[in-house]
Order: sequence, then structure tokens, then C-alpha cells
Amino acid sequence: MKKAIFYIILSLVAVAFIYPFVWMTSATLRPEIEISSLSPFSHNFSISNYKAVLEKIPIGRAFLNSLFVSSSITFSVLIFSSIVGYALSRLKFRGRDPIFMVILFTMMIPFQITVIPLYVLMVKFGWTDTYLALIVPGMISAFGILLFRQYFKAIPQAIIDAARIDGCSDLGILFRIVWPNSIPALVTVAIITFMNTWNEVLWPLIVIRKQSIMTMPQMVTLFAVGGQAEQVGAELASAMMLAAPVVIIYCIFQRHFIASMAYTGLKG
Amino acid sequence: MLKSIKWLIILLAVGMFFQGSILFAKGDVVRLTYWPSSNPQEIELAKVIVDEWNHEHPDIQVDMQPLPASQSSEEVLLAAVAAKTTPDICSNIWPGIVAGFAEANALVSLDNFKDFWDVVLSRTPEDILETFRSKDGHIYQMPWKGNPIMMEYNVKLFSNAGISKPPRTYSEFMMAAQKLTRDTDGDGIIDQWMGIINVSPVWWHRFFDFYSLYIAASGGRTLFKDDKVDFDNEYAIQVFQFLQEGFKKGYFPKGTLQGNQFLLENVAIQFVGPWDIGFLEKHKPENFEYDFAPLPIPDNTPEPILTYSDPKNIVIFNTTKHPEEAWEFVKFLVSKECDLQLLKICYQIPFRKYLDIDSTFKKYFEENPKMLRFAKQIPYTRGTDNIAQLKEIFDVIAQAFEYCCVYDKKTPEKAVRNAAERCQRIIER
Amino acid sequence: MRRSRRDENNRVGYLMVSPYFIFFLLFVGYPLMFSLVLVFHKWNIIGPMKFIGFGNFWQLLHDALFWKSLGNTLIFLTIHIPLQIIIALVIANILNQRIAARGFFRAAFFLPVVVSGVVVTILWQQLYSQETGLFNTLLSRIGLPKAPWLISTRLAMPSIAIMATWKNVGLYIVLFLTGLQSIPLSLYEVADLDGASEVQKFFHVTIPMLNPTMVMVVILSTLGGFSLFIEPYVMTGGGPMNSTLSCVLYIYKQAFYFNHMGYAATLGFTVALIIMIVVIIQRKLVETEIYT
Repeated sequence: MKKAIFYIILSLVAVAFIYPFVWMTSATLRPEIEISSLSPFSHNFSISNYKAVLEKIPIGRAFLNSLFVSSSITFSVLIFSSIVGYALSRLKFRGRDPIFMVILFTMMIPFQITVIPLYVLMVKFGWTDTYLALIVPGMISAFGILLFRQYFKAIPQAIIDAARIDGCSDLGILFRIVWPNSIPALVTVAIITFMNTWNEVLWPLIVIRKQSIMTMPQMVTLFAVGGQAEQVGAELASAMMLAAPVVIIYCIFQRHFIASMAYTGLKG
Repeated sequence: MLKSIKWLIILLAVGMFFQGSILFAKGDVVRLTYWPSSNPQEIELAKVIVDEWNHEHPDIQVDMQPLPASQSSEEVLLAAVAAKTTPDICSNIWPGIVAGFAEANALVSLDNFKDFWDVVLSRTPEDILETFRSKDGHIYQMPWKGNPIMMEYNVKLFSNAGISKPPRTYSEFMMAAQKLTRDTDGDGIIDQWMGIINVSPVWWHRFFDFYSLYIAASGGRTLFKDDKVDFDNEYAIQVFQFLQEGFKKGYFPKGTLQGNQFLLENVAIQFVGPWDIGFLEKHKPENFEYDFAPLPIPDNTPEPILTYSDPKNIVIFNTTKHPEEAWEFVKFLVSKECDLQLLKICYQIPFRKYLDIDSTFKKYFEENPKMLRFAKQIPYTRGTDNIAQLKEIFDVIAQAFEYCCVYDKKTPEKAVRNAAERCQRIIER
Repeated sequence: MRRSRRDENNRVGYLMVSPYFIFFLLFVGYPLMFSLVLVFHKWNIIGPMKFIGFGNFWQLLHDALFWKSLGNTLIFLTIHIPLQIIIALVIANILNQRIAARGFFRAAFFLPVVVSGVVVTILWQQLYSQETGLFNTLLSRIGLPKAPWLISTRLAMPSIAIMATWKNVGLYIVLFLTGLQSIPLSLYEVADLDGASEVQKFFHVTIPMLNPTMVMVVILSTLGGFSLFIEPYVMTGGGPMNSTLSCVLYIYKQAFYFNHMGYAATLGFTVALIIMIVVIIQRKLVETEIYT
């Protein structure tokens, strides 16, 4: 009996979480007048809304931009954050702990205070409307450092010593020995960094005004806000195109996603 | 590690290449960048004009890039000025931002070109030109086009409701609204309205309702006079009252409705510029009949009825390396030939003398009688004031509009008084 | 020999943290310092800067919209945080039972978390739409009047809070679930021996043991509330009557609509300060010593 109630609650909530996406998918395929219909079925399915999006905005280009920006940042965060995380966990040097405190402190600085000065900095560098403004300020993440430091600490000293005796440099140890032993940490940092960058809207809105450099969420936002979409179907279709790649990847790797995102709790 | 760094460098290099590809394309020819507005009609117009120009001027090649989409073009232009990434030429300049840009030295003063006065005086009506003169006496913007805001109405809805002619005064408007706002299918929900007014609090939406109506009601006043706030008066209050009553009685729906309600024949009127003709002609269903009338005015206001001209002008930015060539292109943009294209493709009115009697345009206006009405309205329009903080001023008005007209939380008298006080403080700051 | 190894460690250590150091100076240190300059200046970014002392702070004290945006954040948080905790706790507890297809349910609840906020906002804007939205269609189907979700000043911010809960709650379900699974079973057994009821066990064992998760959820949600931007930017533009104007949206408006860089920096500075104070207070209030 109790179990039955549980299943009913869970199913209802699951419907509440999934149905909006089903409705949205179907709404993008329906003509405008059927948009308020509750049922996802229709006799008039067509892809005209998607065609309209492709005609009106260079969303393919925006997709590539997002992919390029997010991969570059993820790649760089993995490398640089793991280098710093390695130094902080496996090397003893003067000032190590104060440096770690500084890094912890930077994590606690709300972005609201730095966003305007950072924009001014981008203007001074002449980086607005370039990929540099999107990529460079995200190239190291304090969160990544923290997580790598934590994870690398647990690696047995013996493996590292063995490598050192073989004449391995510290970078060599990091990439040849520590990395292969830290796949879960790497996956976690990669997923979180990639997702955060992929979904970021405020920063691109501030530093990018040129359509050819815009990221995908930015372009979809402006498509909706700027009134270019004109039709709800097209607006939803653009949102669908933004969501689809993430949802597909999520469906395949959902275990990793959930485990990684649960880790963000560390951030607080 | 080395391998990863190599990849990182390659990735960055690819990015730089995307970025720099334009730079490498330089040659002996002068290259100019031109930003038109980003709506589909104006992009099409820009393409036609630029293609023709490039064909005739192999030594001055123009590269057209529509102004990036945003909530407002002014936001994009400001960011570009700040970052010094402005194009050589931009043709979507709202005169309200020129004062600020000129102060910041971002614009080329056009009257320094030796044939400026010949060009401008042969085309532009002098009284319009004067409104675009900056405080330092220079002219930084080439007057280009305007879109007088008028009342567009659905002829069939009016005749079905037994109304023979569009309302002229506020009381006539309300009488018509009472008949036209109704529930057509009997399900107890209103599904046809008198008019639609965008309730978004974004500042520039107020050009098309409060500001246009205010110019009409006051017989042509703008918001400022001699750098002092000048809208703390009965006309502004009457406009607020009119809009407030419309929203309160449900003649204008408050929610954002999906789709173009005028096209769907769910609303009887809207306040728009001539550009809507282009849209409607393209999308209108069969038997769709529409026409234009002057804006409604308070009872007992004398004719003629003025309106907002929604001017957009052309500027050359100071970042240009080729001011002379840019000026040549600007001259082409305001030539008769391009003005005719502007009418044909965009349904917008060039600021040109004798437009309605010039033989070049005669055929066009015969074929598009509705456009003639707008052309004839141009002399009876006002633009915006030369105030650097005009965006903020309109934001204050947008808030007063929202509080008073849409949500009925303030009396029109109080809303106008408060807004005027706040605006005065803003320009004194 | 030992000494040189330490020197070597020093050298390599500094070398390896140097990328972060450079990065930190440029993108954290410099903006922080520059923000301290900006707050004392009036600057439209295209002209010269003008020193105005505490003028920006004075203006902020009298800026009704700034206080309104803080008030809106408070409204958001008072709805969002309890709603989120209750839903997440209930679902996590159910999922913690022997449930078939637990993985499926967990994945379903988590789906909105991974989808971009823009997508969720655009979708919910349609769901909330007055005439054609799914919610109002549903309401009128069952004979209730339509609700003015995004048009009423009272409902608009709560509507956004509900949407944000829908978007984020999956993450908190997972966090609570992790917390629940780490509670030692022995604690429940001891409670059983004491003859505790299910309800008593929940309030005296489960809740106290979940305290660290609770602190995290409260703080993360608070940070989210103060960072609200894309939702009002897309859905309402901050309206109706500024009832959904968020702190970040207001900063954005001041900076990029009206070119008040100095004032926008002052807003950012103040909001950041408030966030830190609020988080510290929350820590004090919510965090309890765990006794085992």
C-alpha cells in the first residue's frame, strides 16, 4: 500500500519533469494555432519552425562557436587546474598553504563584484567580440584545483616515488602516472566545466556583440528577446536545438553527469 | 604534456584564424564596413545597395554586416564605441544617442566634408536638418529616413461593428473600443480587442505609444525645451489618462499574446509606422483590409495632427581610416536611386524634399497610395531631443507608463509629475 | 642533498602554481582593485572618468529600484528555498526506499538540471502564457479561472521561483540522497530500540544527520537567487512594475542600457557584500553540531 503511494508520487513528479519537454518537442513541430493544445499529438506535424530558425539566424555557426569555446576551456581547465592541484597536493614548498587559502578565497568572491571591471578589462585588451574574451577568463578554475588537490592526495606515494626514481619530471609524473589514476576526477571536472561554459549566457551577452562569434545560448536568448523569432514555434525550435545535444549526451552518460554535478556541492 | 600543449595551441590558432580571416583579405582596394539594421527588409535593402556600389566601385569595397541582434541597437553601438570596434558607417542611428557619441568624440563631423551642404540641402528639408544639429553646431548625422507613427486599423472589423470612419478623438476612440472589444465565440472570454500596445517596460517601446500620442496631443511638443523638462503638462496627463482607461477597461490586452494579433484580426487598431505595410502585404490572408488614420487626440485639439517621426540616420564613426571614401558611400546611400529602393523594399520614408511630387517616385506612390499618406505626414512630425541621457528619460517614462497606464497604481497626474521630477534630476546630475 | 631537494621542490612548486598566479592577478586581483576605483567614479565608459567620492553609494541608498531588486530576491528566496528543500527531501526519502526503476526516476528528475537555463526559461514562458499557456489551459479545463502568472506583480516572482525550483530540485534530490545513504543504519536501530515512530526517527535522526547537506542547499540556492538574470531577462524584462527585477538584471541595465559603469560597479560591490553577509548568517543559523 505504502509502496503504491510512493510509486504514484514518483510517477506524477516524473511526468511533471518530463512532460514539459515532450510538449515542447511536439510544439516545435506543430503549426502556430495548435500551440496551446495539451496533447502532444497532431495531424499537422512539420519542420517548418526549424527551417525558419535556420533561415533567420546562423545557429549552426553558434553551435560550433559554443563547441569550440567550451572544449577549449574544458581542455585548459583540465591541464592547468591539475598542474596547480598537483603542486598543492604532492609538492612541499614554502607558502603552499597560504596559496591554497587564497584559491579557496577566490572561490567565495561573488561574480557580481568582478563582472563590470572584468568587462572593462576586456575592452582595454581589445578582446571584446573575439573568442579570447570568451575563453581566457575561464581557463583555470579554482573548483577544478580544489577537486584535483583532494583527489591527488589519495594517490599512494609509492607509485610517485617509483616514477621519480625512473627519472620522471613532475609534469611527467602528473600526466603519465597521476592522470591515468584519476579518471573519475578528470571526468567530473570535464563535465562540470563543459556544462557550465556551454550554458553560460550573461558573460557572452556582455562581451560579444558580433553575430559570428556568438555562443549558442546567447544567440537563442537574443532570438527570443530581440523579437526576431516572431513566432512561438520558431522560438521553441531554437531552444530545442540548444537543448538537444546536451540531452542526448546526458541520456548516454547520465550516471557520470549526476555523480559529477552532485560534486558541485563542494563549491559551497 | 607537450602533446596537450600542442593541441591547445592548435585550438587557439584555429580560433585566431576565424577571427583574423578578414584581416588577411586586405589588398589595394579600400575596404569599408557598413552596419545596417538587422530586420530582414533592411538587410535585403542593404544587400541590394551594397552589391550595386561594389559593382560600380571596384576600388572601394563595402562589407555589409547587419547590426547584431540585441534588445536594442543602442546597446550594441555603445559597446562598439567603448571597445573601438565601430564600423566605418552605420545607418541605424537613433538621433537620441548621437549627443553622447559626439561628446565622446566617436563620430566624424559631416559638415567638414566640402560638398556636405550641397548634398544635404538638396535632399533634406531644412527644418528636419536643424533638429539633427548638435549643441556644438556641427552635424554628425546624415538625415536618412523616418517612419511617422499612425493608427493602423482593420477596415472590416470597424464596418462589421457599424463604425463608418476611424475615431479621431479620445472619446470617439473609447466609443469604438467599447463596441470592438468583445467575446466573439461566446465562451465568456474576451478574444477581440480594440488595440494592442506592447506592455514591455523596455524604454524604446514608448516611442510608439506615449511619445507619439504626446506629440499628437500637444500639437508637436517634445519632452524638453531649452534643456528643461517640458512634459509636466496637461497633454501628457491626457495621454496617460487615455492609455490608462484603455488598459483598465480591457480595450488593450495586458498579457503578451502570441503571434501578430493585428494580422490574426483579433485587434482592430495598432500604432505603427509604414514598415508594417511591407509585413502585411507579405503575410495578409485573403479579404484582409486595412488602412491608416492619424493618431487619436484629446477632444477639441486643433488639426493638423502631428506624430513622432521615428528617425534613423547615418553616421561615420571616428574609427574609420577612410573618411572620404565612407562619405562617398553615405552620399550613395541617400541618393534618389537608393531612396526609391528604401521605399520599395522597406516601406519606409526617406527624409527627402518634394517626395510626393518628384517624378522619380511618382509611379511608386501611385502603386502604393497608403505610402503617400505617410510621405505627406512627414512634414508634420517631430523627432527626439538632443539630450545625452535620453535613454534614461525614456526608461523613466516607461516605468511611469507601466505603473499608471498598465497597472493603474498611480493617477496620471501623479505619474506625470513624478516622472518629470525624476527626469529633471537625471539631466542635472 | 636534502636541502637541494627542498629547493627543487620550491622551484617546481612555484613554477607549477604560476599559471594560476598570473591568471589570478589578471582576472581576479585586477578586477577587484579596479572595482574599488570604479565605485568612486562616474563613468560612461566612452568618456573620461569623473571622481565623485561616495556619490555612487549615496545614490544607491536613495535608489528605490536597488532596494526593490533586493526585496525581489528576498521574495524569490523565501519561496524557492523551502519549496526546494521540502520537495527534495520527500523525493529523496522515497527514492531511498527499495524502489524499482530508481535510476530512471533519478535521471528524470535530474534532466532539467543539465538543460540550459535559457531553454527552461523559454519553455516556461510558454507554459505560463496567459492565453495559450499549458498551465492556464489546464486550469480552465478543470473549471478554474486562469492565473495571471507573469502579468501580476504578486505572482510574477513566485512564478519564477517555482520555475527555478523545477530546474534545480533534481540536483538537491541527488545531494539529499547521497546524504541519506551516508547515515549509518545503526542510528535507526538504536532509535528502534527506543521505540521511536517513523515520524520521530525522521525528525530526530534523519534531519539532524542531513544538516551538512541542508547548509549546502540553502547556500547554493541563496547564491542562485542573487545571481538570477536570464530568467527575468527573457521572461519579463524585470516587469511587471519591476516586480521581477533581480540584482544582476539591474546591474546589467545600469551598465549596458544607461552606460553607468561606476554606478553598476557600486551595485555589484554592494550586492557582493550583502551576499557574503547573508551566507555567513545562514551558516550560523542553519549549521548545527552533529552529535553521534
